[in-house]
Amino acid sequence: MKQFDRITPEGTRDLLFEECLVRGRLQRSLANLFQLRGFDEVITPALEFYDVFTDDAAYLPQQSMFKLADHKGRLLVLRPDCTTPIARLAATRLKGAASPLRFYYNQNVYRMERQLAGKSCEITQAGVELMGAPGEKSDLEMVELACASLRECAGESYRIELCHIGFFKAIMQSLGTDAATAEKIRQLVENKNYAALGDMLAQFGENDAVCALKRLPRLFGGEEILEEAAEVFCQNGAREVLDDLKSLYRSLESLGLRDKVMVDLGLVSLPEYYTGITFQGYLSGIGEPVLSGGRYDSLVGQFGRQLPAVGFAINVDLVGRYLMASGMGCCVKSPDILVHSDKAHMAKAIRYRNLRISEGFLCEVSSFDTAEEAKAYALGRGISQLHLVGDTVEILRMAGADYE
Amino acid sequence: MNKLRIALTKGRLEKDTVLLLEQLGYDCEAVKNKGRKLVLPIKNTNIEVVLAKANDVITYVENGVCDIGVVGKDTIMEMGGQFYEVLDLGYGRCRFAVAAPRGCRFYDGFEVKRIATKYPAVARRFFEGKCMDVDIVKIEGSVELAPILGLSDAIVDIVETGTTLKENGLEVIEEVADISARMIVNIASMKLKKPEIEELLTKIESFRKGKTA
Repeated sequence: MKQFDRITPEGTRDLLFEECLVRGRLQRSLANLFQLRGFDEVITPALEFYDVFTDDAAYLPQQSMFKLADHKGRLLVLRPDCTTPIARLAATRLKGAASPLRFYYNQNVYRMERQLAGKSCEITQAGVELMGAPGEKSDLEMVELACASLRECAGESYRIELCHIGFFKAIMQSLGTDAATAEKIRQLVENKNYAALGDMLAQFGENDAVCALKRLPRLFGGEEILEEAAEVFCQNGAREVLDDLKSLYRSLESLGLRDKVMVDLGLVSLPEYYTGITFQGYLSGIGEPVLSGGRYDSLVGQFGRQLPAVGFAINVDLVGRYLMASGMGCCVKSPDILVHSDKAHMAKAIRYRNLRISEGFLCEVSSFDTAEEAKAYALGRGISQLHLVGDTVEILRMAGADYE
Repeated sequence: MNKLRIALTKGRLEKDTVLLLEQLGYDCEAVKNKGRKLVLPIKNTNIEVVLAKANDVITYVENGVCDIGVVGKDTIMEMGGQFYEVLDLGYGRCRFAVAAPRGCRFYDGFEVKRIATKYPAVARRFFEGKCMDVDIVKIEGSVELAPILGLSDAIVDIVETGTTLKENGLEVIEEVADISARMIVNIASMKLKKPEIEELLTKIESFRKGKTA
């Protein structure tokens, strides 16, 4: 007996009507925004070789990927991330293409999430990658685009948070510890686990790096954080990092984004992957970042072409949920007209429907045998006119509340 | 001002946290006389208290329906999740330990050991760290029973005073981790409600410093 034929796998779901409309509208407006700025769409396969995601800079643990095997027994995964395949394609198919390359995408990623925690395993992302452009100018372009994207999606309620992984790396360089300890410290900073971080750092005694690390989780807020950070630590290039962030912040300020952009120097995720600025976007009422991105100058190089790069992805599902929850979703519109005919006049009914559609009406053709059934259906579905097509056409206005 | 919703783990941590909040000057009358209500306002503030089971505290905070949670480190270690773990509140102290029948040489021999526990993830991680293959059996109630009945060679459980172990002929073989109550914060809330959350955290921290000084 079949056991699972009436449900979808955990972490997946069907999207119906309104949700599809909201998602479609989001994807179109983002695609439009990206296109107007010179980004072109790419679509990569949903299936990729596992090897694509196992380079040093890839950050996904193997247990988070959905795996299957091809007919030669080679290990495949359902694309767990959009950026890595685009890096692959930029370094291979577009080997000879002049840089910079501007890509945008609209596709799903698949990740095995913790069970029973309300997490989706299938996430729709819309994102952009700018490859072959180093430095501050493209950082600014992308952070501004991140702001513009969230504004386009959800109005003015968004916030973007900026970090530069270089600040953390500079401190860790001065601390000088083994990789395992460094990773533990990083996690404690990222989770703002002040207490455990203090305990962990006790073994290193008192020095600039230790003081800086203890302060790091608290270094979030407005522009003033950058001044504070400069007092905390400025060796090993940390000063330059903070100067870069400051000039980026100033530029964003002059673009009118002062209220939107915050700084969190403790946002130290994926230090193997990110090489420069990182940023995340938030919408009120959504408990996790809806946008995340940053500079990853070494990823494309793993595939054989050195291209500095920066990009971000928007979690379309979360933004959609935000829009629905805040009443900014959209309603599915009922047809204006239902066209009914008997079997003999069906061809005429179809011609008649096409004519009405060309006049701008939303028009559906009836699949019922009798006019009574068609009428009941029109009433139930909120269709305000029933057109009976026979040798002549009779128009019935339905006594719907909205019509009266 | 933004509303702050705090999820408390029902039971002892709830009482300790209410006591702490009262010492900070919050009026917790509604929480103390809650009746059957589950969402309780703290008078003259923007704070609302929710009472939940430990695992649910993490779920609510991680999903952002509560901004802050108070939950034991034991639950955090078992469940994991994405949130900020900002404060060690100092109360609810106990430890995770491996315990086995008194006098048995647990680590001797080559046979695969069987471990009974309410915390399979914690036990799994601990023995993985020792490169030991063990069978883990999840038990819901009194874990001490498992080795007595011969179901397992040892247990991984929370130990407070050790009295229960002693009375059942078990002894601690090795400590796994120290446990206490933690304050956790939703990642987005920390950013979007920074002033409100920082105010509360600072109050708690300076109060605790004052107490230990």
